[in-house]
Amino acid sequence: MSTALWLAVLASSLGTLLMRLLPLLWMRRRLERLDDGDDGFDAMPQWLGILGPLMIAAVLGTSLVPTTVDATSWLATAIGVLATLAAWWRLRSLGWPIAAGVAAYGAVVTLLG
Amino acid sequence: MSQQATHSLPRPWLAGLREAIPLLGGYVPVAISFGLIAVQAGFSTWEAVVISTLIYAGASQFLFVGMIAAGAPLWLVVVMTLLINVRHVVYAPNIAPWLTASRAWPWLMHGLTDQVFALAHTRLPQLPASQRLGWFTGAALLAWFSWIGGTALGAVAGEELTRRWPLLGEIMPFALPALFLVLLAPRFTDRRWSLALGSSIAIALLLTVNGLSNAAIPLGAACGALCFYLVKLDSTTRGR
Repeated sequence: MSTALWLAVLASSLGTLLMRLLPLLWMRRRLERLDDGDDGFDAMPQWLGILGPLMIAAVLGTSLVPTTVDATSWLATAIGVLATLAAWWRLRSLGWPIAAGVAAYGAVVTLLG
Repeated sequence: MSQQATHSLPRPWLAGLREAIPLLGGYVPVAISFGLIAVQAGFSTWEAVVISTLIYAGASQFLFVGMIAAGAPLWLVVVMTLLINVRHVVYAPNIAPWLTASRAWPWLMHGLTDQVFALAHTRLPQLPASQRLGWFTGAALLAWFSWIGGTALGAVAGEELTRRWPLLGEIMPFALPALFLVLLAPRFTDRRWSLALGSSIAIALLLTVNGLSNAAIPLGAACGALCFYLVKLDSTTRGR
Protein backbone atom coordinates (compact mmCIF):
# COMPACT_ATOMS: atom_id res chain seq x y z
CA MET A 1 0.00 0.00 0.00
CA SER A 2 1.19 3.49 -0.74
CA THR A 3 1.75 6.09 1.98
CA ALA A 4 -1.40 7.92 0.90
CA LEU A 5 -3.42 4.72 1.24
CA TRP A 6 -2.02 4.08 4.71
CA LEU A 7 -3.02 7.60 5.67
CA ALA A 8 -6.55 6.91 4.40
CA VAL A 9 -6.70 3.75 6.56
CA LEU A 10 -5.45 5.69 9.60
CA ALA A 11 -7.88 8.59 9.03
CA SER A 12 -10.82 6.19 8.68
CA SER A 13 -9.71 4.27 11.80
CA LEU A 14 -9.21 7.38 13.90
CA GLY A 15 -12.48 8.91 12.74
CA THR A 16 -14.42 5.73 13.54
CA LEU A 17 -12.78 5.46 16.97
CA LEU A 18 -13.60 9.09 17.77
CA MET A 19 -17.23 8.57 16.76
CA ARG A 20 -17.41 5.73 19.27
CA LEU A 21 -15.36 7.43 22.00
CA LEU A 22 -16.19 11.17 22.06
CA PRO A 23 -19.94 10.71 22.71
CA LEU A 24 -18.99 8.63 25.76
CA LEU A 25 -16.86 11.45 27.15
CA TRP A 26 -19.71 13.92 26.47
CA MET A 27 -22.22 11.70 28.23
CA ARG A 28 -19.89 11.13 31.20
CA ARG A 29 -19.55 14.89 31.68
CA ARG A 30 -23.31 15.27 31.47
CA LEU A 31 -23.79 12.52 34.04
CA GLU A 32 -21.24 14.14 36.37
CA ARG A 33 -22.97 17.52 36.03
CA LEU A 34 -26.41 16.12 36.71
CA ASP A 35 -25.30 13.65 39.34
CA ASP A 36 -27.53 14.13 42.35
CA GLY A 37 -27.55 10.57 43.58
CA ASP A 38 -30.17 9.43 41.07
CA ASP A 39 -29.77 6.52 38.71
CA GLY A 40 -27.62 7.55 35.75
CA PHE A 41 -30.37 6.40 33.41
CA ASP A 42 -32.53 9.33 34.54
CA ALA A 43 -29.82 11.79 33.46
CA MET A 44 -29.86 10.48 29.90
CA PRO A 45 -31.78 12.62 27.38
CA GLN A 46 -35.11 10.91 26.75
CA TRP A 47 -34.66 10.68 22.98
CA LEU A 48 -31.35 8.88 23.50
CA GLY A 49 -32.89 6.28 25.78
CA ILE A 50 -35.56 5.62 23.15
CA LEU A 51 -33.10 5.50 20.26
CA GLY A 52 -30.97 2.73 21.84
CA PRO A 53 -33.49 -0.13 21.58
CA LEU A 54 -34.68 1.18 18.21
CA MET A 55 -31.13 0.99 16.82
CA ILE A 56 -30.98 -2.64 17.94
CA ALA A 57 -34.35 -3.24 16.24
CA ALA A 58 -33.00 -1.72 13.02
CA VAL A 59 -29.86 -3.88 13.23
CA LEU A 60 -32.20 -6.88 13.60
CA GLY A 61 -34.13 -5.76 10.51
CA THR A 62 -30.98 -5.59 8.39
CA SER A 63 -29.65 -8.91 9.67
CA LEU A 64 -32.93 -10.70 8.88
CA VAL A 65 -32.23 -10.38 5.16
CA PRO A 66 -30.65 -13.71 4.14
CA THR A 67 -27.30 -13.97 2.36
CA THR A 68 -29.02 -15.47 -0.69
CA VAL A 69 -32.38 -13.81 -1.28
CA ASP A 70 -34.81 -16.49 -2.54
CA ALA A 71 -38.04 -18.18 -1.39
CA THR A 72 -36.21 -20.97 0.47
CA SER A 73 -34.06 -18.49 2.45
CA TRP A 74 -37.10 -16.39 3.40
CA LEU A 75 -38.97 -19.51 4.52
CA ALA A 76 -35.89 -20.59 6.51
CA THR A 77 -35.72 -17.11 8.06
CA ALA A 78 -39.39 -17.23 9.09
CA ILE A 79 -39.01 -20.70 10.61
CA GLY A 80 -35.73 -19.72 12.29
CA VAL A 81 -37.41 -16.66 13.85
CA LEU A 82 -40.32 -18.76 15.13
CA ALA A 83 -37.96 -21.41 16.55
CA THR A 84 -35.86 -18.73 18.28
CA LEU A 85 -38.91 -17.05 19.81
CA ALA A 86 -40.46 -20.35 20.88
CA ALA A 87 -37.24 -21.40 22.62
CA TRP A 88 -36.89 -17.97 24.23
CA TRP A 89 -40.52 -18.06 25.43
CA ARG A 90 -39.89 -21.41 27.08
CA LEU A 91 -36.37 -20.93 28.47
CA ARG A 92 -35.89 -17.14 28.83
CA SER A 93 -32.16 -17.60 28.30
CA LEU A 94 -29.65 -16.30 25.74
CA GLY A 95 -27.78 -19.29 24.31
CA TRP A 96 -30.29 -22.06 23.59
CA PRO A 97 -32.83 -19.96 21.68
CA ILE A 98 -30.02 -18.87 19.32
CA ALA A 99 -28.90 -22.47 18.84
CA ALA A 100 -32.51 -23.51 18.16
CA GLY A 101 -32.95 -20.70 15.62
CA VAL A 102 -29.73 -21.52 13.74
CA ALA A 103 -30.56 -25.25 13.76
CA ALA A 104 -34.07 -24.62 12.37
CA TYR A 105 -32.75 -22.20 9.74
CA GLY A 106 -29.99 -24.63 8.75
CA ALA A 107 -32.40 -27.58 8.56
CA VAL A 108 -34.73 -25.73 6.14
CA VAL A 109 -31.84 -24.49 3.95
CA THR A 110 -30.28 -27.97 3.85
CA LEU A 111 -33.54 -29.83 3.16
CA LEU A 112 -35.00 -27.46 0.59
CA GLY A 113 -31.85 -25.85 -0.81
CA MET B 1 -36.46 -1.87 31.08
CA SER B 2 -34.65 -3.66 33.85
CA GLN B 3 -32.01 -1.43 35.42
CA GLN B 4 -31.30 -3.63 38.37
CA ALA B 5 -28.22 -5.72 38.97
CA THR B 6 -29.98 -9.04 38.96
CA HIS B 7 -27.14 -11.49 39.45
CA SER B 8 -23.37 -11.64 39.89
CA LEU B 9 -20.96 -13.84 37.97
CA PRO B 10 -17.92 -15.68 39.37
CA ARG B 11 -15.69 -14.66 36.42
CA PRO B 12 -17.30 -11.79 34.52
CA TRP B 13 -14.81 -11.74 31.61
CA LEU B 14 -15.48 -15.44 31.02
CA ALA B 15 -19.23 -14.78 31.05
CA GLY B 16 -18.65 -11.96 28.54
CA LEU B 17 -16.71 -14.35 26.30
CA ARG B 18 -19.43 -17.00 26.55
CA GLU B 19 -22.29 -14.60 25.88
CA ALA B 20 -20.51 -13.13 22.85
CA ILE B 21 -20.11 -16.56 21.19
CA PRO B 22 -23.32 -16.15 19.12
CA LEU B 23 -21.71 -13.09 17.53
CA LEU B 24 -19.10 -15.36 15.95
CA GLY B 25 -21.77 -16.97 13.77
CA GLY B 26 -22.22 -13.64 12.06
CA TYR B 27 -18.73 -12.19 12.37
CA VAL B 28 -16.56 -15.03 11.10
CA PRO B 29 -18.32 -15.72 7.75
CA VAL B 30 -18.53 -11.98 6.98
CA ALA B 31 -14.89 -11.45 7.99
CA ILE B 32 -13.86 -14.36 5.75
CA SER B 33 -15.73 -12.68 2.88
CA PHE B 34 -13.97 -9.39 3.64
CA GLY B 35 -10.53 -11.03 3.67
CA LEU B 36 -11.26 -12.74 0.36
CA ILE B 37 -12.60 -9.57 -1.29
CA ALA B 38 -9.69 -7.46 0.01
CA VAL B 39 -7.13 -9.86 -1.48
CA GLN B 40 -9.05 -9.98 -4.76
CA ALA B 41 -9.01 -6.15 -4.76
CA GLY B 42 -5.21 -6.17 -4.59
CA PHE B 43 -4.52 -5.86 -0.85
CA SER B 44 -2.07 -8.25 0.82
CA THR B 45 -3.14 -10.51 3.70
CA TRP B 46 -1.41 -8.24 6.22
CA GLU B 47 -3.01 -5.13 4.82
CA ALA B 48 -6.48 -6.72 5.04
CA VAL B 49 -5.76 -7.74 8.66
CA VAL B 50 -4.55 -4.23 9.56
CA ILE B 51 -7.74 -2.71 8.06
CA SER B 52 -9.90 -5.11 10.11
CA THR B 53 -7.87 -4.44 13.25
CA LEU B 54 -7.95 -0.65 13.01
CA ILE B 55 -11.20 0.31 11.27
CA TYR B 56 -13.19 -2.66 12.67
CA ALA B 57 -16.54 -1.77 11.12
CA GLY B 58 -17.94 -4.33 8.67
CA ALA B 59 -19.95 -2.45 6.06
CA SER B 60 -17.55 0.48 5.85
CA GLN B 61 -14.58 -1.84 5.33
CA PHE B 62 -16.23 -3.42 2.28
CA LEU B 63 -16.94 0.05 0.95
CA PHE B 64 -13.37 1.19 1.69
CA VAL B 65 -11.80 -1.70 -0.22
CA GLY B 66 -14.37 -1.50 -3.03
CA MET B 67 -13.85 2.23 -3.60
CA ILE B 68 -10.06 1.89 -3.51
CA ALA B 69 -10.24 -0.92 -6.07
CA ALA B 70 -12.50 1.25 -8.26
CA GLY B 71 -9.95 4.07 -8.15
CA ALA B 72 -12.04 6.57 -6.15
CA PRO B 73 -10.22 9.62 -4.67
CA LEU B 74 -8.88 8.83 -1.20
CA TRP B 75 -10.58 11.79 0.50
CA LEU B 76 -13.94 10.51 -0.79
CA VAL B 77 -13.14 6.99 0.43
CA VAL B 78 -12.45 8.35 3.94
CA VAL B 79 -15.57 10.56 3.94
CA MET B 80 -17.85 7.71 2.81
CA THR B 81 -16.31 5.31 5.34
CA LEU B 82 -16.95 7.76 8.17
CA LEU B 83 -20.44 8.56 6.91
CA ILE B 84 -21.45 4.91 7.12
CA ASN B 85 -20.06 4.68 10.66
CA VAL B 86 -21.71 7.86 11.93
CA ARG B 87 -24.55 5.81 13.49
CA HIS B 88 -22.05 4.71 16.14
CA VAL B 89 -22.26 8.10 17.85
CA VAL B 90 -25.44 7.14 19.71
CA TYR B 91 -24.13 3.84 21.06
CA ALA B 92 -21.71 4.90 23.83
CA PRO B 93 -24.04 7.49 25.45
CA ASN B 94 -26.71 4.80 25.65
CA ILE B 95 -24.56 2.52 27.78
CA ALA B 96 -22.70 5.31 29.63
CA PRO B 97 -24.98 5.28 32.71
CA TRP B 98 -23.82 1.73 33.45
CA LEU B 99 -20.09 2.26 32.90
CA THR B 100 -17.84 2.57 35.92
CA ALA B 101 -15.11 5.18 36.49
CA SER B 102 -12.31 3.05 35.02
CA ARG B 103 -10.01 4.74 32.50
CA ALA B 104 -10.12 1.62 30.34
CA TRP B 105 -13.66 2.33 29.11
CA PRO B 106 -12.82 5.00 26.49
CA TRP B 107 -10.30 2.63 24.87
CA LEU B 108 -12.75 -0.23 24.96
CA MET B 109 -15.12 1.85 22.86
CA HIS B 110 -13.09 0.71 19.83
CA GLY B 111 -14.97 -2.56 20.25
CA LEU B 112 -18.43 -0.97 20.37
CA THR B 113 -19.85 -2.34 17.11
CA ASP B 114 -23.58 -2.64 16.31
CA GLN B 115 -23.67 -6.16 17.67
CA VAL B 116 -21.57 -5.57 20.81
CA PHE B 117 -23.73 -2.54 21.57
CA ALA B 118 -26.91 -4.61 21.27
CA LEU B 119 -25.51 -7.20 23.68
CA ALA B 120 -24.05 -4.66 26.15
CA HIS B 121 -27.19 -2.50 26.18
CA THR B 122 -29.15 -5.47 27.49
CA ARG B 123 -26.58 -7.13 29.75
CA LEU B 124 -24.72 -4.25 31.46
CA PRO B 125 -27.76 -3.01 33.43
CA GLN B 126 -28.26 -6.55 34.74
CA LEU B 127 -24.71 -6.87 36.12
CA PRO B 128 -23.29 -5.48 39.37
CA ALA B 129 -21.07 -2.40 38.72
CA SER B 130 -17.90 -4.26 39.76
CA GLN B 131 -18.38 -6.87 37.02
CA ARG B 132 -19.25 -4.70 34.04
CA LEU B 133 -15.69 -3.88 32.94
CA GLY B 134 -14.66 -7.55 32.98
CA TRP B 135 -17.81 -8.65 31.17
CA PHE B 136 -17.48 -6.00 28.44
CA THR B 137 -13.75 -6.69 27.98
CA GLY B 138 -14.39 -10.40 27.46
CA ALA B 139 -17.28 -9.86 25.04
CA ALA B 140 -15.66 -7.05 23.03
CA LEU B 141 -12.27 -8.77 22.72
CA LEU B 142 -13.78 -12.04 21.53
CA ALA B 143 -15.76 -10.18 18.86
CA TRP B 144 -12.71 -8.15 17.79
CA PHE B 145 -10.35 -11.13 17.61
CA SER B 146 -12.92 -13.19 15.70
CA TRP B 147 -13.20 -10.37 13.15
CA ILE B 148 -9.41 -10.14 12.77
CA GLY B 149 -8.98 -13.93 12.67
CA GLY B 150 -11.82 -14.32 10.15
CA THR B 151 -10.24 -11.70 7.91
CA ALA B 152 -6.87 -13.48 8.00
CA LEU B 153 -8.56 -16.80 7.25
CA GLY B 154 -10.51 -15.30 4.38
CA ALA B 155 -7.41 -13.65 2.91
CA VAL B 156 -5.37 -16.85 3.09
CA ALA B 157 -7.95 -19.52 2.29
CA GLY B 158 -11.28 -17.80 1.64
CA GLU B 159 -11.71 -19.20 -1.85
CA GLU B 160 -11.05 -22.76 -0.74
CA LEU B 161 -13.36 -22.43 2.31
CA THR B 162 -16.32 -21.06 0.38
CA ARG B 163 -15.89 -23.78 -2.26
CA ARG B 164 -15.69 -26.61 0.28
CA TRP B 165 -18.46 -25.47 2.69
CA PRO B 166 -20.76 -23.23 0.66
CA LEU B 167 -23.70 -23.65 3.08
CA LEU B 168 -21.74 -22.71 6.21
CA GLY B 169 -21.48 -19.07 5.19
CA GLU B 170 -25.21 -19.08 4.54
CA ILE B 171 -26.41 -20.76 7.74
CA MET B 172 -24.14 -19.40 10.48
CA PRO B 173 -25.01 -15.70 9.97
CA PHE B 174 -28.54 -16.49 11.22
CA ALA B 175 -26.99 -16.46 14.71
CA LEU B 176 -27.02 -12.65 14.51
CA PRO B 177 -30.77 -12.09 13.94
CA ALA B 178 -31.46 -14.85 16.48
CA LEU B 179 -29.32 -13.02 19.04
CA PHE B 180 -31.01 -9.67 18.37
CA LEU B 181 -34.43 -11.31 18.61
CA VAL B 182 -33.61 -12.70 22.05
CA LEU B 183 -32.26 -9.29 23.15
CA LEU B 184 -35.31 -7.41 21.88
CA ALA B 185 -38.12 -9.81 22.79
CA PRO B 186 -38.40 -8.61 26.43
CA ARG B 187 -38.77 -5.02 25.22
CA PHE B 188 -42.13 -5.64 23.53
CA THR B 189 -43.79 -4.57 26.77
CA ASP B 190 -46.72 -2.46 25.52
CA ARG B 191 -48.47 -1.30 22.33
CA ARG B 192 -46.31 1.80 21.98
CA TRP B 193 -42.98 0.02 22.19
CA SER B 194 -44.24 -2.88 20.06
CA LEU B 195 -45.25 -0.51 17.25
CA ALA B 196 -42.01 1.46 17.43
CA LEU B 197 -39.78 -1.63 17.48
CA GLY B 198 -41.86 -3.40 14.82
CA SER B 199 -41.68 -0.44 12.45
CA SER B 200 -37.90 -0.09 12.98
CA ILE B 201 -37.44 -3.76 12.09
CA ALA B 202 -39.75 -3.55 9.06
CA ILE B 203 -38.26 -0.34 7.62
CA ALA B 204 -34.66 -1.52 8.08
CA LEU B 205 -35.54 -4.86 6.47
CA LEU B 206 -37.26 -3.22 3.48
CA LEU B 207 -34.39 -0.79 2.93
CA THR B 208 -31.84 -3.62 3.07
CA VAL B 209 -33.83 -5.73 0.60
CA ASN B 210 -33.86 -2.73 -1.75
CA GLY B 211 -30.08 -2.36 -1.59
CA LEU B 212 -29.97 0.53 0.90
CA SER B 213 -28.29 -1.44 3.69
CA ASN B 214 -26.03 1.44 4.74
CA ALA B 215 -28.94 3.77 5.40
CA ALA B 216 -31.16 1.04 6.85
CA ILE B 217 -30.04 1.27 10.50
CA PRO B 218 -30.28 5.05 11.05
CA LEU B 219 -33.44 5.41 8.93
CA GLY B 220 -35.11 2.36 10.51
CA ALA B 221 -34.39 3.70 14.01
CA ALA B 222 -35.59 7.20 13.05
CA CYS B 223 -38.89 5.80 11.70
CA GLY B 224 -39.31 3.78 14.89
CA ALA B 225 -38.73 6.91 16.99
CA LEU B 226 -41.28 8.81 14.90
CA CYS B 227 -43.77 6.01 15.46
CA PHE B 228 -43.03 6.07 19.21
CA TYR B 229 -43.82 9.79 19.47
CA LEU B 230 -46.84 9.60 17.13
CA VAL B 231 -48.44 6.93 19.32
CA LYS B 232 -47.88 9.17 22.34
CA LEU B 233 -49.46 12.13 20.55
CA ASP B 234 -52.39 9.96 19.48
CA SER B 235 -53.08 8.71 23.02
CA THR B 236 -52.72 12.27 24.41
CA THR B 237 -55.26 13.57 21.87
CA ARG B 238 -57.70 10.78 22.70
CA GLY B 239 -57.25 11.47 26.41
CA ARG B 240 -58.60 14.98 25.86
